[in-house]
Amino acid sequence: MARVAIEEGYFTVPDDPAEAPRLLGSRCGACGEHFFPRRQVCARCLHDGCDDVELGPTGRLWTWTYVHVPLFAKKNAKVSAYGVGQVDLPEGPRVQALLVGGPDDFEIGMEMVLDLETLRTDDDGNDVVIMRFSPHRAAGAHEGGERP
Amino acid sequence: MRIEGAAVAGIGMVRFDRYPDRSGAHLARDAGLLALRDAGITLAEVDEAFVGYIQPAAMIGIKAMKELGLTGLPVTHIENASATGLVAFREAAWAVASGRAEVAMAIAFDKMTDMARNAPSRGTGRDQLDSTILPAAYFALWAQRRMHDHGTRPEHFAAIAAKNWNHGALNPLSHRRPDHTVTVEEVLASQLVAEPLTAMMACPADDGAACAIVASTDWVRRHQPDRRVVRPVASALQSEAYSPGHTFLGPVVGPATMTRTTALQAYEEAGLGPDDMDLALCHDAFANEELEYYELLGFCGEGEGERLLDAGDTALGGRIPFNTDGGLIARGHPGGPTGLAMVHEVVTQLRGEAGDRQVHGARRGLAHLVGGGSVCTVNLFETD
Repeated sequence: MARVAIEEGYFTVPDDPAEAPRLLGSRCGACGEHFFPRRQVCARCLHDGCDDVELGPTGRLWTWTYVHVPLFAKKNAKVSAYGVGQVDLPEGPRVQALLVGGPDDFEIGMEMVLDLETLRTDDDGNDVVIMRFSPHRAAGAHEGGERP
Repeated sequence: MRIEGAAVAGIGMVRFDRYPDRSGAHLARDAGLLALRDAGITLAEVDEAFVGYIQPAAMIGIKAMKELGLTGLPVTHIENASATGLVAFREAAWAVASGRAEVAMAIAFDKMTDMARNAPSRGTGRDQLDSTILPAAYFALWAQRRMHDHGTRPEHFAAIAAKNWNHGALNPLSHRRPDHTVTVEEVLASQLVAEPLTAMMACPADDGAACAIVASTDWVRRHQPDRRVVRPVASALQSEAYSPGHTFLGPVVGPATMTRTTALQAYEEAGLGPDDMDLALCHDAFANEELEYYELLGFCGEGEGERLLDAGDTALGGRIPFNTDGGLIARGHPGGPTGLAMVHEVVTQLRGEAGDRQVHGARRGLAHLVGGGSVCTVNLFETD
């Protein structure tokens, strides 16, 4: 059964599930600034012509929160709690994404690593996956991905 | 560029609340009629109108205007997220200052409760790439970073929220008018939404409408000889300038520093500074924002916001009272009309008509909003 991204164009979905995904970004051909997600015109120097690159999969946690009431003020939706954060990639971009773990698992400055979580199965039987960041622990310790 | 020759001729608003049985157009009509009455005119005297709303529907602005009359006047729709109302006001002020219009109207309406009811259609919040981080979570990310950098505690955010709830108690037009003094403990004990923000640190979802009429200063002096004339003197509006660490995916309310550059522009245009201000209204959709804006609007140095707060300087009776009408947290935040409610409060204060919450001798005021996407606007007002 194949894995497919929840939305095309943001991250790779490696054939080997043990391989970490990477973010689909851009690098300006003129000034060298990196961006996520992909863009054509450089946001820094306005050069028209960024090149496709892959970014990550590790970064440092810039800030985080744990959302206890995700759809606050939207009364008719029940959604379980989850963490979100902003992760600075070594190449420069700051990425907002889901975090894996509970409110006691995060600390600003900690190293994070990108992985994929299966959200559901689509009509063709494919696993629909979304990207997220986990605290980077010793090898083999981050396959968990339980939803709190 | 300093705004010359424009003054506020009339203000009106429908108290922000939940109005399940009233349409947005009827809320707009009622706010518009209040403002026209305050100005002493009908729509016949209005040369141009700017209609703001953020709910996703086409043509509803022009249709709402018809509730006030069909005079053939030019009508332009304005949408700049939470900053919509102030941006509509900015256009009205410049329509007059440019000489294009003698009298211009800024009007906005929204029914946030409708949007809240319809919002989760795109999934469950978590299971999507672009809207996983809703506003409470986004501003919680700011709050966490602030606590990390400056040792700020949730008690500081709670103190700001309690202050604004208690300001709201003094404002007949506030959505939330608590019948008791709201305490820091009460705010902290309310439901935890996104760490460290609690429900009472957040603005409510509500409906409402507000309107301001701008006219040439000559017109206002001629028609309202007995009233203190309140003039907009600067209106800066900025979108984001790129800086490293910019986030492109997900909700964006811009770097907090956008408020600093926008405020500097407004001060420079007016030839004024933060020390000249007697009150300030800011985008306190979440209490931690207000703490950041104390610094970014220039009322204290970086990392000194907590001291300003602890000294009581930003409460009514303090050196620079913030959100005298209750702010977004108490007065409410329906979206489009929010900025025009701010104009309503600044004008009421500078006219000296704010009753129990009057800032004694107020001559100058500031109104600030950020809007998702993102934009920031800072507007300065003064009276003689």
